[in-house]
Amino acid sequence: MTLQLGEKHFSSAQPEAAARRIVTFKVGDRTFGIDVGMVREIKGWQATTPLPHAAQHVRGVLNLRGVILAVYDLRTAIGMGVTDATATHVIVVVDVEDKTAGLLVDSVSDIVDVPVSAVRPAPDLERDEHGLIEGLVLLDTDIVALLDLAAVIRDGGAETQLKTSRAA
Amino acid sequence: MDPLAELKQTFFQECEELLGALEQKLQALDEGSNDPEDVNAAFRAIHSIKGGAGAFGCTELVAFAHVFEASLDHLRSGRVAIEDAPFTLFLRCSDAVADLVAAARNDEQAVERPDLLAALEQVGQEPQAPAPVAVAAPAPAAPPIPASTPAAEADAPPGIAALGNLLAMVEAKTGTTPAKADDGWDDEEPAAAPEPAAAKPGRDVKLRIAPETDLFRRVIEPRVVLGSLPADDVVEIRCDLSQVPPLESLDVTDCWMRFDVALRTQLSVEELHGRFDFSLANEEFEIAFSAEQPAVTEVPVAEAAPAAEVSSSVAADLSAILAKLGPAPEAQQAEPEIQPAPVAALAAAPAPAPEAAPVLRTPPRAPANDQAAARQRQAVSVRVDLDRIDKLMNLVGEIVITQSMLVECVRSLPYDVYAKTAEGILTLSRQTRELQDHVMAVRAQPVKAVFQRMPRLVRELAQTLGKEVRLVLEGENTEVDKTIIEELADPLTHMIRNSMDHGLETPDERVEAGKAREGTIKLIAEHRAGRIVISVTDDGRGINRDRLLAKARSRGLVGADERLQPEEIDQLIFAAGLSTAEVVSDVSGRGVGMDVVRRNVESLGGRISVDSEPGRGCKFTLALPLTLAVLEGMVIRCGDDRYVIPIASVIETQHLASTPIERLPFGQEVLRWRGEVTPLYRLGDVMGSMGTTHENIVIIAETERGNNVGIAVDEIVGQQQVVVKSLEANYGAVNGASAATILGDGLVALILDIDSMLRLAASGERNHPLSDLKMAG
Repeated sequence: MTLQLGEKHFSSAQPEAAARRIVTFKVGDRTFGIDVGMVREIKGWQATTPLPHAAQHVRGVLNLRGVILAVYDLRTAIGMGVTDATATHVIVVVDVEDKTAGLLVDSVSDIVDVPVSAVRPAPDLERDEHGLIEGLVLLDTDIVALLDLAAVIRDGGAETQLKTSRAA
Repeated sequence: MDPLAELKQTFFQECEELLGALEQKLQALDEGSNDPEDVNAAFRAIHSIKGGAGAFGCTELVAFAHVFEASLDHLRSGRVAIEDAPFTLFLRCSDAVADLVAAARNDEQAVERPDLLAALEQVGQEPQAPAPVAVAAPAPAAPPIPASTPAAEADAPPGIAALGNLLAMVEAKTGTTPAKADDGWDDEEPAAAPEPAAAKPGRDVKLRIAPETDLFRRVIEPRVVLGSLPADDVVEIRCDLSQVPPLESLDVTDCWMRFDVALRTQLSVEELHGRFDFSLANEEFEIAFSAEQPAVTEVPVAEAAPAAEVSSSVAADLSAILAKLGPAPEAQQAEPEIQPAPVAALAAAPAPAPEAAPVLRTPPRAPANDQAAARQRQAVSVRVDLDRIDKLMNLVGEIVITQSMLVECVRSLPYDVYAKTAEGILTLSRQTRELQDHVMAVRAQPVKAVFQRMPRLVRELAQTLGKEVRLVLEGENTEVDKTIIEELADPLTHMIRNSMDHGLETPDERVEAGKAREGTIKLIAEHRAGRIVISVTDDGRGINRDRLLAKARSRGLVGADERLQPEEIDQLIFAAGLSTAEVVSDVSGRGVGMDVVRRNVESLGGRISVDSEPGRGCKFTLALPLTLAVLEGMVIRCGDDRYVIPIASVIETQHLASTPIERLPFGQEVLRWRGEVTPLYRLGDVMGSMGTTHENIVIIAETERGNNVGIAVDEIVGQQQVVVKSLEANYGAVNGASAATILGDGLVALILDIDSMLRLAASGERNHPLSDLKMAG
């Protein structure tokens, strides 16, 4: 299942040169966003194969046209429990650094253009100890938390491996 | 790419192979093989390199190769005894040739090696010093041309060069030898004896030498063939040119010369046969003990003419042939640096060739000649771009997945339909497998390709470090996937460097420790448990654990109060930034080495380990998968999860119920299998499988060290070929698994790695640290 996304422009945005185009998606009632350039495709939930002793938010791996990639549960990553994935859930396939990964979210909402000036730095949240939030964008209706995808994924894979391989 | 560049590329590729062969043969000789065939092979290799280099205008390479070849020729001709030859020098020269080839390949300025050249020129000098002129005895067995071949040859294909040589010989003869009464031209016989045959003891023997037309392409020259006869015994040599076809249809690389040789010799037929062992096939010469005239076609040019004229007319004839043969002009213009006589003779040839000779005809020849030389030993081969094979391999991988998907689909069909399709599916699986095996075989290569670079490394390092080292290679013919081969070079280089620098002591230290002055490094490759296992063993001092530990502590890698087992300390050698070398040299000591090796090896799904015994030596073992592409696997289920175990690691499967399980004091379960106590691991526990497990089956598997372990699983689902997919590419290494694959239903299954699984089990790790982190929610 691939979702066709409608486009809606940021209400107050003038045709400004330095604008960011952001894909927004929901986990529970919270809205998150990432740059559209990082999104490779959006597909419906598909069963994953769990990995032994991986981080909690690593749901497992799946086969995307012959390529194996790991799926990360964004809900778990932000400390809101584990997603009970159903067919209506969505995997956002993203390119992070040199890897491809899947991000399990509830639904994809929109694509918005925001001027760079509208992005505020993330407040120093105690809760965000892994620095997953890169910045905030205030839309008319809600607040979009821009994700630092590398941080989301790093705290899933690399760190685990580092510790286990040292133990091994 | 333009055709010339492409050819050049091919030439360089061939150079690599030739250099490998050269080095290998020289190495064998250095180790005392004393085999003339090794000398010939080395000579052929350098000769081929020279030929090709000439064609592509690599002048430095040609110049060096020429001198090198010339000195090797002394061995071939027997002027220098094989036992006395300076193979160490030759090996260094082979390194220098490799450097020159590399320089030519990269269009760089080559480093000149006058030292080596001078040393090479010395080879075979002494035996020439005594003047045999005073004695009535004739010239030495080697033909009168001192060095092997004129420089001119370099610019022309070997065939032409050979002709040139022969011509030079003829000219040299006619120039120095007074006319004789008999017809034909004499080769070795000085003017002294008018009736030498009668004066000498022995029998009269007629030899008819009729080489196949590919003689030159086999890089054999008539001079060499004739030179292998004892010069004292030669009464007369005639050249029969009657076979030479009209010039229009003459292929210059064909040899049409036939020789009739009259001998008076004490050698037996067998001994005469032996003389031609390495140059001619049995059917290329006949030996007859008779006083009769040879029953062969008479030499037409020689028939009626008086001797002197005949000689020069043969020469003229050959010159004329040469002159008409396109590439020859270069030969005539060649600098007379080494052999003034033959070149002068060439220059005097009656018919200078036209300037517009098609020079471009030469390049294709050089590789072709090399191949022809190797033809007798190798099957015909084709060079294929690795990319193409990779594509083929990927496609086969896709087919394997599709095929297992089909199998799955068919299972759900109604019985009558299923029965009909089942046979076809079965055939398809068999064919797919066969296809895959063949593609894999295409990619498989012996590790020799990497191993043969190591002797040079060891030699150079031994010199730099002032150590005496013997390198022993074993299992060079162990085959492994091409991709692995390419990745092997760096780790091996590092490992050998490490052993030479840190492991082996200096000769004096070794003597003090009661060891042989010469250290030994063994490089061994073998197949084990579906992997290729390569070990580098040295008999040096072993790892200095105290120093390593102290260093690790000072770097904060090991806590001050942490106690480590000796084996654990040894493993620290793979930690980043550690080096125990006291002096940082250009060899090692910067602490980048073994950790890099480990990372490289692990990224390939391999492993590296070290066993060290203080004072006795150190052994690094590298285990890599045989291929990165496909493997035969047993699909098993445990709880809700399916896994693949490589068939290569499976020894046997049996029902768990029939196997009594015992428990050791520490809680480790073991079972008795074939009278041995075998540890048992429950896969579901080790891998943290989801769902509830009901272990029914135990799989006896083999580890890399050759131990057996039992792995309890719920069910064996089936056996199939699986396409290996990297987990590292988009995720990272997964403990317990070497990679993943896609099963018929499109889901991913992990491919288990027994050794890594055992380590995971031993580490006792059950859950990820992140789960302990307090996350607000």
